[in-house]
Amino acid sequence: MKDTKETIVKFENISMQFPGVLANDDVSLEIKKGEIFALVGENGAGKSTLMNILYGLHTPTAGNVYVKGQKIEKFKPMGAIEKGVGMVHQHFMLVPSFTVAQNIVLSREPKKMKFLYDLKKANSQVRELSEDYGLKVDPEAVVGEISVGLQQRVEILKTLYRGADVLILDEPTAVLTPQETDELFKVIRRIVEEKDMTVIIITHKLYEVMAISDRVGVMRQGKLIGVEETKNVNERILASMMVGREVLFDKIEKTGEPGNVLIEADNLFVADNRGLMAVNGVSLKVRAGEILGVAAIEGNGQSELVEALTGMRSVKQGQIYICGQEASGRDPGEIRKMGLAHIPEDRISTGVAMPSSITDNMIIGKERRSEFSVKGIHLKRSSVARYARELFDKFDLRGAGVDTEVGSLSGGNMQKVVVAREFSLDTPVLIVAQPTRGVDVGAMEFIHKQIIEKRNHGCAILLVSADLDEVMRLSDRIITMYEGRITGEFKAQEIDKRDIGYYMTGSRTAGGGEEGA
Amino acid sequence: MHKITQSIKQNKTYLISLIISITAALIIGGILMDVTGFNPFESYGAMLRGAFGSARVFGNTLTKMITLCLTGLAMTVCAKAGLFNVGGEGQLFLGGLAATMTGVYLQGASPLIAVPLAFLSAIVAGGLYAWIPAVLKVKLKVSEVITTIMLNSVAIYVCTYLVNSSGPLATHDKGVLGGSDAVPEAFRFAQLIPKSNLSTAIFYSAVIAFLCWYIMQKTSIGLEMKVTGENERFAFFAGLPKDKLMIWSMVASGAICGLVGMFEVYGYQIRFQDSISNEFYYDGMLVAMIMNYNPVGIIIMSFFFAVIDIGASAMEFSTGVSGEISEIIFAVIIFLMAAEKGISKAITKKNLQRKVKKTMGKEVQ
Repeated sequence: MKDTKETIVKFENISMQFPGVLANDDVSLEIKKGEIFALVGENGAGKSTLMNILYGLHTPTAGNVYVKGQKIEKFKPMGAIEKGVGMVHQHFMLVPSFTVAQNIVLSREPKKMKFLYDLKKANSQVRELSEDYGLKVDPEAVVGEISVGLQQRVEILKTLYRGADVLILDEPTAVLTPQETDELFKVIRRIVEEKDMTVIIITHKLYEVMAISDRVGVMRQGKLIGVEETKNVNERILASMMVGREVLFDKIEKTGEPGNVLIEADNLFVADNRGLMAVNGVSLKVRAGEILGVAAIEGNGQSELVEALTGMRSVKQGQIYICGQEASGRDPGEIRKMGLAHIPEDRISTGVAMPSSITDNMIIGKERRSEFSVKGIHLKRSSVARYARELFDKFDLRGAGVDTEVGSLSGGNMQKVVVAREFSLDTPVLIVAQPTRGVDVGAMEFIHKQIIEKRNHGCAILLVSADLDEVMRLSDRIITMYEGRITGEFKAQEIDKRDIGYYMTGSRTAGGGEEGA
Repeated sequence: MHKITQSIKQNKTYLISLIISITAALIIGGILMDVTGFNPFESYGAMLRGAFGSARVFGNTLTKMITLCLTGLAMTVCAKAGLFNVGGEGQLFLGGLAATMTGVYLQGASPLIAVPLAFLSAIVAGGLYAWIPAVLKVKLKVSEVITTIMLNSVAIYVCTYLVNSSGPLATHDKGVLGGSDAVPEAFRFAQLIPKSNLSTAIFYSAVIAFLCWYIMQKTSIGLEMKVTGENERFAFFAGLPKDKLMIWSMVASGAICGLVGMFEVYGYQIRFQDSISNEFYYDGMLVAMIMNYNPVGIIIMSFFFAVIDIGASAMEFSTGVSGEISEIIFAVIIFLMAAEKGISKAITKKNLQRKVKKTMGKEVQ
């Protein structure tokens, strides 16, 4: 912890009103020069909104922002950049076909004779910058071909190139492996110590807060609940500040013995959208009453595997059996009839119809059942409403009504709608992808409980998640995937996070791991 | 009644901007009349008299309304499922011609056989012609907007060729320039008001409108269609028969257009001519889009458009104001409604800012 020096950023009574949501409610906060400040809170707590205001993406409804003592009058990203504020968004804003150097100098290209692009100078400037800050990159590498961790480094360099000395990182570790996360933290510490930068990290992973930050601010429902020195708090205290109650992270109780094999894939090959093979000969089995976790970094074939198992993507080679029935070459409707339900990895693009109400989204899949329609045609609106109400209460969709448009819900509530619909189909097989991505702690606990309940009732569950903690917490067995192949298989108790990381990056493989159960 | 007030509440900002747009359009129309030397009040009076002045003109207004309403619903049926049928005009031509020729060839048969067959042929002709772009869209991902526009020209020119001068289906009746033979009198729809265009087509239209509303709002199929239109990937993921839903909604859309063609001929035009439709379908599309594909809204807006359209020609006749003024009024409404989303967003934002500042101010005091 450094000596607290002068204030570099000051928020004064910031309120931000979006239609129907008060995203920031009278927030006052001071960030000191040269500190690493963590901003934590559940999804929808308003932390990204607050930082977007600092970066000039939103104009606050009330209140003032001062950067280096100057009041911000016009909220524009260009103005923020000029004042030395840089932001790395959760989703990188890079041009994949450009080189690293081209991306970094974009919009501020070095020129020859005032208008000719000076690529050589760009390369040398970027090389200099990267050495200066100890962020190693190859200026001539094409961005689309480098790893996610390196892409993030490029994003950071981009803000540095523009002269930023206040760096905002929005959920920087969401896409990183544990090793890459360590590397990022080293980089952050170095730029803070050697270059006197100020870093603000938005996150909801509490152990990261403990590992990296000097001070931490906790937000809840738009309000700043408290600002603490990190050394004075622990994860438990932060968690209870975030949700306003004690979160216990109960030990999960698993009961029952595995039964028959309900999901089986045999030597499966699946191509991605570009036609390249994304799944290369994967075989796996999942039994009733068992959760098989798939641990893999994004883009290593796990998404394509899920889509193939659920019929959303065609299988190039190999067989799939769901509840003993041949499922390869079938469409999602047919596979669902075999007894499968599916939580998709991207709820917004796949899991819901955003303009429709919660009711309509919950009933889809059951709308032709005799309980809900006469002869499968005339909808019994009252039974539908009653049923939706039941699910709504059971899944505790606070802050909404059954007629609320799903598109206006928070991430956590929207995911609850998806989980409610899919789990209420009462199928023996569940394919669950990224069940708690971008979901707050409360909803996460709830969804985890639902998954375990399903397991204990004898469902066969395949769980794919980028969140290693989640995979380790829920799974009975874990397989790791790298470049479309299974690189290892473990009992959940027998492996720790660090080791899994090696298998996820392909630097270790277990012989015979492909055999499945 | 409760439901109506509820739906009005839900769409409050939309309705307000709609009323503002219409008022603005009428005022702009009035200003134009004024600067061109006509009295706007007199002219609008003439317009209203032209639309409501007698049973005969009112009948014509209702007939126009039927056409707008059915074409608007045809657009809505496929738009709900996520398809954009721009080919209604061609489907209308083919349906009209098919129904007309069915009637012509069955001359002497019982109307109880001939008229249902005419209905069937209009439905099949219009439906099949919409089925082609629907299948191309679903199976080969060919944009239905482009194919339907292209197929419009094909249908219109083929029909024009068939019924004009030396065409194989042209009439031999003396004194008739262009067009097919007339539909036998026994098959034509009964006139409801003497000398007006209004026929029993209005009852058939009511049935079609009811069916559209019922299927879209009250059935599981309607729900599936809506969901497919909102997010096709979600429909696929949820295992809905989305390809079937999309194809059938397009076929239904085409079938309705085919029936509009038939109603034009059987209702008052008597024979099929290449002037059967003056871009009726495009007007219907606009009505549907302005009303956000809301079936009840489409019926109301069709009536309003019909009043202006029919009233404008009478106004031209009695006051000399060009009937084109109706086009200007429509254009202004469409323009303002297209901007509606942006405008209402700005209004909500302003309101919020004011509200927050007010409450903040109180706290400070």
